[in-house]
Amino acid sequence: MTTEINALGLSCPQPVLKTKQAVEQTHPAQLTVRVDNEAAVENVSRFLGTRGYDTAASGQGDDFTIKAVFTQSSADTREKTKKTGSALDVAGVNAPDIPQKILVFIATDRMGFGDDELGKKLMISFINTLGEMGDDLWRLVFVNNGVKLTITDSPVLQILTEYEKKGLSILVCGTCLSHFDLLEAKQVGQTTNMLDIVTAMQLSQKVIQL
Amino acid sequence: MPPGDLAAALAGLSIPTNENVLVGLGTADDAGVYRISADLALIQTVDFFTPIVDDPYDFGRIAAANALSDVYAMGGVPKTAMNLVAFPLASMDPQILRDILAGGISILEESGTVLLGGHSVEDDELKYGLSVTGFVHPDKILANQGLMPGDRLILTKPLGTGVMNTAVKAGLASDKQIVSITALMAALNRDAAAVMTRFPITACTDITGFGLLGHLAEMVVGTRVGVTIFSDRVPLISGALDFAGMGLVPGGAFRNRKFRESMVAMDADLNPALRDLLFDPQTSGGLLMGCPKKRSQELVDALGAQGIADAAVIGEVTDRRRGMITII
Repeated sequence: MTTEINALGLSCPQPVLKTKQAVEQTHPAQLTVRVDNEAAVENVSRFLGTRGYDTAASGQGDDFTIKAVFTQSSADTREKTKKTGSALDVAGVNAPDIPQKILVFIATDRMGFGDDELGKKLMISFINTLGEMGDDLWRLVFVNNGVKLTITDSPVLQILTEYEKKGLSILVCGTCLSHFDLLEAKQVGQTTNMLDIVTAMQLSQKVIQL
Repeated sequence: MPPGDLAAALAGLSIPTNENVLVGLGTADDAGVYRISADLALIQTVDFFTPIVDDPYDFGRIAAANALSDVYAMGGVPKTAMNLVAFPLASMDPQILRDILAGGISILEESGTVLLGGHSVEDDELKYGLSVTGFVHPDKILANQGLMPGDRLILTKPLGTGVMNTAVKAGLASDKQIVSITALMAALNRDAAAVMTRFPITACTDITGFGLLGHLAEMVVGTRVGVTIFSDRVPLISGALDFAGMGLVPGGAFRNRKFRESMVAMDADLNPALRDLLFDPQTSGGLLMGCPKKRSQELVDALGAQGIADAAVIGEVTDRRRGMITII
């Protein structure tokens, strides 16, 4: 089923916000957005691109249509490939080979309390080892001091970048980056907001908090 | 108005002039300049717009800083101002207007400009701005054209107020970001202008609604120079690139690009979000000036010493690709 969004007559940034709301609430596989100006075509297409959609726009004058198909997002790639391969999934049965959706919520740059130096080492080791969760690891969320693990001189930047390349979704709290004045320094993951984080927690099957 | 539409409306108009008009409509400069005597010329400019921030006092400050900026961009000193007000009396508390005017006056005071009066009309939509008059020595006028090959281009404020204001409208900007862009937009270009007087500046403009590349285009169109912009050195407001990347680009940036893209050569690999910021319409943006290469670093340092920390060399002027802007 295609979700249709009518953003005709709406001025910037409303078309993007309306699209954002639909994407975040219903995660449609296909999406059609109608807008009335070329700037909105570019903005909505760009936004959908960041959310893993392929887009094609048509139209002219004051009536444009953007058709978007969910192809892959860093978040859901593996989940999707698995599902298409499995007859059980089509029937909607929760087969054992379907990965869990584990969200790891990281609100600090060190693990545990006691010795900070040890805590930092443990965190490096933890993130390096997270890959062992395999396909069950669905999303990493960095907030508060945790965002410092995503910036230029982070000791785990390389492994996080590898995880992201392999399709793991990494969300980094924009308010936190901004608070520490690190928006420019962030090197990995997608800058996000609290609504995204709350939605991700709701969609996940297990939240591991650090 | 969008740049193309304005040009279309003005096309074919015959505008009387005389020998005392030193800067008129011909070169789309920041302000008009009229010679009164051999050592005194008058700079006149006017600017008003609809609110760009929620707080009325801040809106007044920003509108005043924006209106005064054109005088500074001409190398002049603002002296007097008149308010322009369109106000929806039926739907809005007059206290709001008082706050706006108080904000405007605070910036006029900061700049040493006196308010002589104003004019108000009742309108469905709130608008505020000012007409500003300044003085300049006729030999010291800084027109927007005059760049010389070898000059470096220096920009004094980071880009992105259009994108940030769109993010504010979308409810996605943080309180800290709102505070910081408000301060940026209300910041006078007075100190930057004062520093300029100590350097052999060849041309200057202020960056407002047409965006960096739109105003830069006015500096080179029809001239014998071309410019190269170092895209990685252009100062940007923190967070603006992220917001532009998620599609929060105002329609004005798009119109600015459509109007001037034939004059701009850019690498296909250039991040579209960065490209849009280069065309992003600015409210009360910084000054863009040309300065001979050998003095350019000294100029940036002098601006930094005045607290203009974002000032940076963002490009160079060449005698190649005349009338064109190349983004690298």
